[in-house]
Formats: sequence, structure tokens, C-alpha cells
Amino acid sequence: MSQPDRRRSVALRRVPSYLLLSIIALLFIGPILWMLSGSLKSISEILRYPPTILPETFRWENYVQVFALQPFGRQFLNSVLVMVLVCVVTLIVAIPAGYALGRVRPVGAAAIFVALLSGIFIPPEAVIVPLFQTAADLGWIDTYWPLVLFTALLSTAPVAMFILRQAFVTLPAEFEEAATLDGASRGRTMLQIFLPLVRPSIASAIVFTAWFSWNQFLEPLVYLRSQEMLTVPVALTLFEDPLAGPRWNIQMAATTISVLPVLLVFLVAQRHVVSGLTAGGLKS
Amino acid sequence: MSAGTHSRLAPRRGGRDAGRNTFGLLLLAPQTLGLLVVGLVAVGGVVQLSLTNVNVLAGTREFVGLENYLRIVSDPDMSTILSNTFFFVVVLSVVGTVVALALAVLLNQRLPGINIFRAAIFIPALVTTVAWTLVWRFILQPEGLLDGIVGLVGLGPYPWLRGGWLSLAVFALIQMTKNVGINVMIFLAALQAVPQDLIDAARVDGAGRWVRFRHVVLPQISAAILMVFMLMISGSFKVFELVLLLTNGGPGIQTSVLAFEIYRQAFRLNDIGYAAALAVFLFALVLLLTGIVWQVRRKLVFHESA
Repeated sequence: MSQPDRRRSVALRRVPSYLLLSIIALLFIGPILWMLSGSLKSISEILRYPPTILPETFRWENYVQVFALQPFGRQFLNSVLVMVLVCVVTLIVAIPAGYALGRVRPVGAAAIFVALLSGIFIPPEAVIVPLFQTAADLGWIDTYWPLVLFTALLSTAPVAMFILRQAFVTLPAEFEEAATLDGASRGRTMLQIFLPLVRPSIASAIVFTAWFSWNQFLEPLVYLRSQEMLTVPVALTLFEDPLAGPRWNIQMAATTISVLPVLLVFLVAQRHVVSGLTAGGLKS
Repeated sequence: MSAGTHSRLAPRRGGRDAGRNTFGLLLLAPQTLGLLVVGLVAVGGVVQLSLTNVNVLAGTREFVGLENYLRIVSDPDMSTILSNTFFFVVVLSVVGTVVALALAVLLNQRLPGINIFRAAIFIPALVTTVAWTLVWRFILQPEGLLDGIVGLVGLGPYPWLRGGWLSLAVFALIQMTKNVGINVMIFLAALQAVPQDLIDAARVDGAGRWVRFRHVVLPQISAAILMVFMLMISGSFKVFELVLLLTNGGPGIQTSVLAFEIYRQAFRLNDIGYAAALAVFLFALVLLLTGIVWQVRRKLVFHESA
């Protein structure tokens, strides 16, 4: 067999594989494409049957409508603000804890590790009722306090601590000894020697925490009241006409706006995103 | 590893160890205290509330003992709600794990452009559950895309979201496609960590494709399989968001699940005490199921890497 012939037969043998992979991929990507197409249709075109695949005319004004019907820009920034705050609180408690459990190992470290990890096994749906009552007692309804503090301490910090502890444990002890000989204090050893070495794991912890916060629906639904305070997932559900039902095209446009930044982050930092979500798979 | 550290520390003076302990415990204090306070409020609170009858309007709480738990047993809706809940636990954990593994094996081939397909399967995991569910609601609306597709071969239209097994199956499909990408990535990493010489050795011994997978690859990735299985069990209670957005548990309570019933009783019917009792029940269920899997893990997992 000549060279090009062999190459062609290899390519031919791959056709079934590619076909199968494409059909499967369509199941995962198809809904996203349908969302894009729907976001550009008129409502009368959406209600036509059988449905059209591509919009007859691209109605970009749907995207303007999103901001006219709700303070969507504000709501988007709310989601970003809550996400950043959850990340900050999570890292402030989880980095020292992960370092203490991975490197310092004080008395009782093993027991404390198990205790901290137990937060992972508390299902948020099961404790939303007492947490809501507490938030109400503290006057925290329609504020971001419960969304930030309860989420960070109960859900994301245990996972972040676990990711960081694993990273600190694998670093060689020689660094620590060298730093001690140089007369560096314990605090400086932690911040200047070890912290820069676990940067990839900090990135994973941030990705997981940000994703968890960005995704939250039940908590903002319960804690938040006014339209200006809402976060994106709750706001998305409110693009409805009380009489005519969902404004499908506007809702799909808003959903598209909410999805695009996350996809952009994924394209830029694919490796960190995958490692963050799989490490955080502990609580997905 | 810790044994080595200890022997190195042993000859040191007590003062250094004390300093080390103080420093370590200081670092642990914020997270430990934070989790302790919130955890106590959450878990202690839910148990306490489950033993009371709360009158939201009058603002009173009255101790009623186990009355709320007895109500769970006699609630006629519970048989539907629990069988729906178990349906999702079983389907999402068993089928979800098998599907994730099959996809991982499929995506583990060395093909040009395979990364595009890997990314495609991962993308729904990046989208929020609410966004994914709203898009599916759009697809499933009467005379929507799915009706259009089955209509091409002369079928339908079907009442996708009007209760019964069809709706439960649709929920399972939506939930599974949403998060399976994460599990596929976990399996892909495990598959790529299997030493190639083991597989080659088996091939030299004349083992076929299936035998190599069953007896060489599978034992090597058993830890990952059990981890994913456990994640899917606890994750299966998350169909709550789909139920809320797609059917509100209806018609009646036909498509309701335990987590949705907690939400409905607490925040729509203001029956805080009963909701808390259901929540304790859910909590116990999650602990029981993950506990069982953890015990089985010891027997099954060949290669303990965690």
C-alpha cells in the first residue's frame, strides 16, 4: 500500500468514531446553540410550529430589552460582588487552615482535619430552614451577609482547605528548614516561601469557590427580596409576563449574557477551570 | 510521612513545639470557629426546629416532641415524593457513573481534535444549573424544539413536563448532561494515570480489549469510580432546582422530591417545623447512603490512592 492510501484508510477507520463523538457532543452543545438562536428570534417566530432553526431576522434588540425589563446590569454586578466576597472569606480562612494542617501539624491536627471536612457532608438544602431563621433574627434578609458568610464557612471553605492542604503536604520539608536557619519567622516562612509555591492550587480553590457562588439559586431565592439586590440565577427566572407567560426570547438573551463570561474564562484558563471543578467535585 | 516528621521533631526542645502548636492552632482558629458556629446554628437549629411547631404569623414556637416526624410517616404524599427521590438517587448514581465512564473511555482515544469533544462535554458544567434548566424548559415547551424533532419521524407531541415517568426521565437527562463533564474529567485523569506497561503486559499475555479493561484498567481506577459514585449520590438531591423551575413539583406533587418538599413546606406553606423534620430526614438519608458506600469502598477498592 502506498503512503497516501494508508493515510486514507486510517482516516476512514476514524469516521465512525467521529460520527459517534459528534452526535454525543450535539446533545451537550445543542441546547447552548438553541439558546443563542432563540435569543435572536421574535416571540411570534418562537411560537410558530414547526420551529425554525435559525432566526429569520436577527433581533439584537432582544438584548437591549433584557436591561429594560430588569436592572440586569446591576444584578450581574451583584452576582460578581457576592462571588468575590465569598472567594475572599473562603481564602482568608482556608489558606491558614490548609497550611496549618499540611505543614505545621499542631496537636489535634488529625481530629481538626476531619471536623473541618465534615462541612462537606452537610447538604445545603437540609439546613436552609434554620439558617434562614437565623438570618431573619439578625436582620440579614435582603442583604448579602448570609449569602457570603454561610456559603463560605459551610460549603466552600472546607473544600478549599482540602485542596490547599493536599498542596502544602507535597512540598519538601527542606524549604522550611532552610527558612528557619535563615532566621525567617513562622509567618514569613508561610507567606513568602510556601504560599507562592501553591499558586496553582489557590487558583483551583478560587475557581471552585467562584463557580459554587455563581451557581447558587436556593440561597439567594430565600434570602433576597428586592429586584435591585437579586443575583443573576434568580433574575433569569423572572423574565415572564404575568399574563402571556415566559418572554422566551428575552429570557434566552439574558441567559446568553450570563453564560458568555464563564465560557470566556474557560477558554482563557481551561486547565485551572478543569482542575478547580474536578477537585471541587467533592461538593458539586 | 508523618512518622518521619515526628522522629525529626522528637529531639527538639519543648519550647519550640509549644510555639509550633500555638502558631498552628492560631492559623486553624478562624475556620474552625466559623464552621463550629455556623454548623451548630445549622444542624443544631434544624433538629431543634423539627421538634417544634412554629406559628410564623404570631411569632410563637411550641415544643411538640416527635409529632412532625410522625406526620412524615402518615403523610400520603410521602410515598410519591420518596419514590421520586430514590429514583433520582439510583438513576443518577448508577447510570450517571456508567455513562461518565463510557464517555471517558470514548474520549480517551488518541484522535486529532479530541480536545474539542472533551470541551464540548464539559461546557454544560460551566453553565449555571438555572441557565441550563431554563434552556431545557425552552426546548421542552409544547410545540418546541423537541416536539419538532420527534415530529420529523411522525411521533408526538408528548407531554414532557406534565408528570409521570416521562417527566422524571426528562429531569434525569437534564441533570445528567449538566454535570457529567466533571465526572468524565475525573475518569479521564484516572485512565491516563494507569501505567501503560501494565496494559502492554496484559496484551502480550493475549488478553483481549474487554479483558484488559475489566481486569487491568478497572481495578486501577476503582478509587475514582467510587468517588464519582458517592458524589453522584449526594448530588442527586440537587434535582430540586429542576423541579422548582420546570414543574413546581406538579401536577399536584407528582414530580416532587424531598428537597423540593422541604422548600415548599418552609417557604410557601410556612410549616417550618414539618420542613425541619423533613430536612433532618434528608440529612440522615445522605449520611446513611454515603456511609454505606464508604463501607463498601473498603472491600472493593483495589488501588487506594487517596
